[in-house]
Amino acid sequence: MASIMRPGLLRQACQAPAASQRMLSTFASSSVKQSSPFAQHMRPAFARSTIPKSTRIAAFHATQRQQILPPLPQRIEGTTNDPTPVPDPTPAHGSYHWTFERIVSAGLVPLTIAPFAAGSLNPVTDSILCALLVVHSHIGFESCIIDYFPKKRIPVIRNLAHWALRVATLTLGIALYSFETNDVGITEAVKRLWHA
Amino acid sequence: MATTRAFARLASRRAAVRPAAFLTRGFASVTESPTTSETVSPKASRGPISEKQTSTIKEPEPGKDAKIKTFHIYRWNPDEPTSKPKMQSYTLDLNKTGPMMLDALIRIKNEVDPTLTFRRSCREGICGSCAMNIDGVNTLACLCRIPTDTAKESRIYPLPHMYIVKDLVPDMTLFYKQYRSVKPYLQRTTAAPDGREFRQSKEERRKLDGLYECILCACCSTSCPSYWWNQEEYLGPAVLLQSYRWIADSRDEKTAERQDALNNSMSLYRCHTILNCSRTCPKGLNPALAIAEIKKSMAFT
Amino acid sequence: MASQRVFQLGLRRAAVPNFLKLQPAGRMVQRRLAATDTVSQTTGQEILAKQRLQRPVSPHLGIYKPQITWLPSMFNRLTGVILSGGLYLFGFAYLAAPTLGWHLETPSMVAAVASWPAFAKISAKAFVAFPFFFHSLNGLRHLAWDLGIGFKNITVIQSGWTVVGLTVASALYYTFIG
Repeated sequence: MASIMRPGLLRQACQAPAASQRMLSTFASSSVKQSSPFAQHMRPAFARSTIPKSTRIAAFHATQRQQILPPLPQRIEGTTNDPTPVPDPTPAHGSYHWTFERIVSAGLVPLTIAPFAAGSLNPVTDSILCALLVVHSHIGFESCIIDYFPKKRIPVIRNLAHWALRVATLTLGIALYSFETNDVGITEAVKRLWHA
Repeated sequence: MATTRAFARLASRRAAVRPAAFLTRGFASVTESPTTSETVSPKASRGPISEKQTSTIKEPEPGKDAKIKTFHIYRWNPDEPTSKPKMQSYTLDLNKTGPMMLDALIRIKNEVDPTLTFRRSCREGICGSCAMNIDGVNTLACLCRIPTDTAKESRIYPLPHMYIVKDLVPDMTLFYKQYRSVKPYLQRTTAAPDGREFRQSKEERRKLDGLYECILCACCSTSCPSYWWNQEEYLGPAVLLQSYRWIADSRDEKTAERQDALNNSMSLYRCHTILNCSRTCPKGLNPALAIAEIKKSMAFT
Repeated sequence: MASQRVFQLGLRRAAVPNFLKLQPAGRMVQRRLAATDTVSQTTGQEILAKQRLQRPVSPHLGIYKPQITWLPSMFNRLTGVILSGGLYLFGFAYLAAPTLGWHLETPSMVAAVASWPAFAKISAKAFVAFPFFFHSLNGLRHLAWDLGIGFKNITVIQSGWTVVGLTVASALYYTFIG
């Protein structure tokens, strides 16, 4: 929206050169005035000069909406014929991690349905639910960090985020432990709040 | 023939008159521009200028009952390397255009604007060259019908989140390098039992159906948000489908090594079953299912 | 051969005025002003690497058609972050409560909520119920996919809209009735 109001862009739009002028290498002869060979010689230079400076310099720095981590200029490692490097196998971050995550998620299913059927959970199942929620949340946030904080680009921020998440999860664990031991339990609390 | 020869001779007499230096372009336009003040390093993320701010190139000879449809096409010219991409509008008379999007593109290139650049080859959906984003969905232009509703304007973009070589041509180098990294060929150390062929049962062969048909057009990979954000490390649906094609192959003896190559947090497990890949595949394959099968086969290893 | 000649001619056409008159009018003739040059493999690579730095990235999220595949996936993550984020915030607040003098024990929270106006209660419930039901129901879909079930396009579309429908129904029920 803001870009419409930029005079620079408007100017560029008005002056957008015709197709035959945009590309100098190829054009239809019918569209060219064939007055003299000299004109033929001069034409490309002329055509070049008619490309408004704004399109050549680009208006990108004037309008771009601020993006979070916009893509970097393209760099290709190695030649076209090299394969991309294959990382060393780390099942702890690969298959074991995935399987563990699925088991936790699957375990949450009955524990989520049970309170709806039974009203609330007994303290033991309630604390299991809490523990699984903590793990599930941790893995979920971790996945967000891996997705949105690329290791190559912002290694420090990514590390900080990972450590912040670990501290936060630990704190949450302690908090839920004390909530479970001193209070009524999370399902019961939600139930009472819901009907408050 | 004879006349052309004559012209050639005629022309060669004047061959000493070379075009002046300012007429020649370099090998490519990356050669330093004459004034250094113009060299602004452009952002890769620069988006296209809206079609509202660019001109419309009209159908050259609209017929009597012309069915005029508007196409907005992503354009970027590497000869002006710092310029912003833009959406160029073209109008075509559908009565004079073939039924497919590729026909429209070819007609624009032939009759309206010869500078429009796109890849195409087989025009029947087997080469995968004309993969592009048409009306928001990745598909092959040659397999995509032009919607006959002329009130709706069509938008054609290159494959999403790819570096653009020119107009609708994305740079597929990384994609092919990734494909290479999964070793897409039969790996065996033992000889065939009968010394002649590596034989398969019908059931074993059937496992490869829906995998071997992939034409590597990259429609699926470039429709995957995970691949958009982590292109460098995540392999993407197309390459994983190919990896599974060799994991599932009964004749291949390096299944464990192939699985190990994927067993890290990035290569395979950035797949969050978004399923854009299966939805968009122009060949009707199911990369998401292939990836799920890889995950399942690796679950407890 | 002949075409090559014509091409060469095209290059030199400018110098030969008579030639132009012989060209059929309106025919497309290509004239290339590019000078070609033989460069070594490495120089070519350098030029290519320089060109790559200038390339734009094609548009992606902004232009991709909203589909029942990726939008629920996005919302799945979003709702997960909302729910887990809420849980984390509550956890921090609960631990900090004694020092800050807040009362986050269940009875006092219930009392506080009870004093809210009906509008606030309903919005708070909706704010929790919609993400919760969406994330839970969509999670079932994801678990099915992890087992390799329901990958056909039509099944994905149907299950997606089913989840949306069930989410709206159950969230509305628990917001207003349950």
